[in-house]
Amino acid sequence: MSSTDWEDVVEMPDELDDETAESLADDADEFQDMKGEMCPYPQVEAKKALASLDSGDLLVQETDHVPSTENVPKAVEDDAEAKVWRSGDGLYRIFLHKR
Amino acid sequence: MSQLIIAVVVGTALGILFQKGRFCFVHAFRDFFAFKDTRVTKGVIAAVALTMIFWSIAYYFGYYQGFWTPEWGLTGLIGGFIFGIGMTYAGGCASGTLYRAGQGYLHFWLVLASMGVGYAVFTVAFPTLQSTYFEPLTFGEGVTLFEASPIPAPVLAVLVVAAFVVVYATVLGREETKKRATSAADAASVTLVPAATLSGIRSLKDGTVEYLRGFREIDDWRAAAKRPWDPRTAALGITAVAVLWFTQVSIVGITGPESRWTAYILQTAGVDAEGYEYWGSVLFAGEGVSVTVDMVMIAFVIVGAFLAAFWSGDFRVRTPKLQRVPNAVAGGFLMGVGSRLAPGCNIGNIYSGIAELSVHSFIAAGGIIAGVYVMTHWMYRDVGCAI
Repeated sequence: MSSTDWEDVVEMPDELDDETAESLADDADEFQDMKGEMCPYPQVEAKKALASLDSGDLLVQETDHVPSTENVPKAVEDDAEAKVWRSGDGLYRIFLHKR
Repeated sequence: MSQLIIAVVVGTALGILFQKGRFCFVHAFRDFFAFKDTRVTKGVIAAVALTMIFWSIAYYFGYYQGFWTPEWGLTGLIGGFIFGIGMTYAGGCASGTLYRAGQGYLHFWLVLASMGVGYAVFTVAFPTLQSTYFEPLTFGEGVTLFEASPIPAPVLAVLVVAAFVVVYATVLGREETKKRATSAADAASVTLVPAATLSGIRSLKDGTVEYLRGFREIDDWRAAAKRPWDPRTAALGITAVAVLWFTQVSIVGITGPESRWTAYILQTAGVDAEGYEYWGSVLFAGEGVSVTVDMVMIAFVIVGAFLAAFWSGDFRVRTPKLQRVPNAVAGGFLMGVGSRLAPGCNIGNIYSGIAELSVHSFIAAGGIIAGVYVMTHWMYRDVGCAI
């Protein structure tokens, strides 16, 4: 895939405000609780889950691991469009819309 | 006294920079192999290259306290490989473990404790390992090319960095040409090295301009500082701090001082740590088990990371999932043992060791990266790796 070029200018995923994140979370087709997980398991689990979802479906990961907010979106960038919500106290949600 | 203040300042600053830049070598190499992510890899490369140049200048003018040059041989490859396996399984390298301990991860406190067990087991086995492992596998005296080469150190450092840039740009240019190539004729042009190098250098330049432009687009610096930083920004800060440390104390290392902390804690608890050859004569060099400046420095890395995480809203006491406990225990243990068998961790070898052009560290860095490669492929066995 051409989009996994290793020299692409890397964009951080867009950040969501609290309200949008809240309402979007209700639309999740699959929810993964990744609190207490370490890399690279969230990346691997996101890839596996997206493989079984349909185009347009939403996968939400809840995590307390900061690096996941960047490397999960990057790991699945061919398969999904990512947005991130930061709670401000060490909890994050990653929203992945399957392409 | 002044060294103690420098240790506090350097440790705190490194903790802040590691946390904000997510300066984790597992991230840098694992994610490169798994899905060609180079954000952190670029930060690591920038830090090594800049530190190499500035340390060579400091050394040339005599502003340095000494190099760290273990004897070289296969020990670097074997110990490094074990360390690389361990840190990939644990989910964090020596620097990543320290900053995340400060950020509230109980997982990484467990990694630290398991590393301590690894240091202790190694120390007990050291007399046997001397004759069965270190002696047969060590081939030569420790050497840094800064001292061994007839070329002045700063010139050598610039040449090494320039050579690396050429290789890097060539690989980069080839990847780009390959991506653009639509016909067989275009694909053939991929092999034209000078063209690939030039186009690679052009895109390196564009990348740097893009990076600098990013700063101009920041309108709210406070909010931007609270978000994660580009690892290259952290690399600039780490270089500045490492130059201060190099001129006043030493090179930057983590697992050596951690191993000394293990001895100190055991000694305080009533164990005769000094009686063990490795701690008493090697690590504390016969001067008695006490708190040294580099031990203070790495303790303040945890403090600095805590401050940065707390201020950024990233601090949280995080309890690991039960199924991750083996990662922390086994991974940490392998990191402790591997870093002693090499000797040195990712910071001592990949960062400081390559920056000071130590022959031992070239070998150990190769071992660590090979360990990450093998372990990444195992952990990604269900979904596959890009490289």
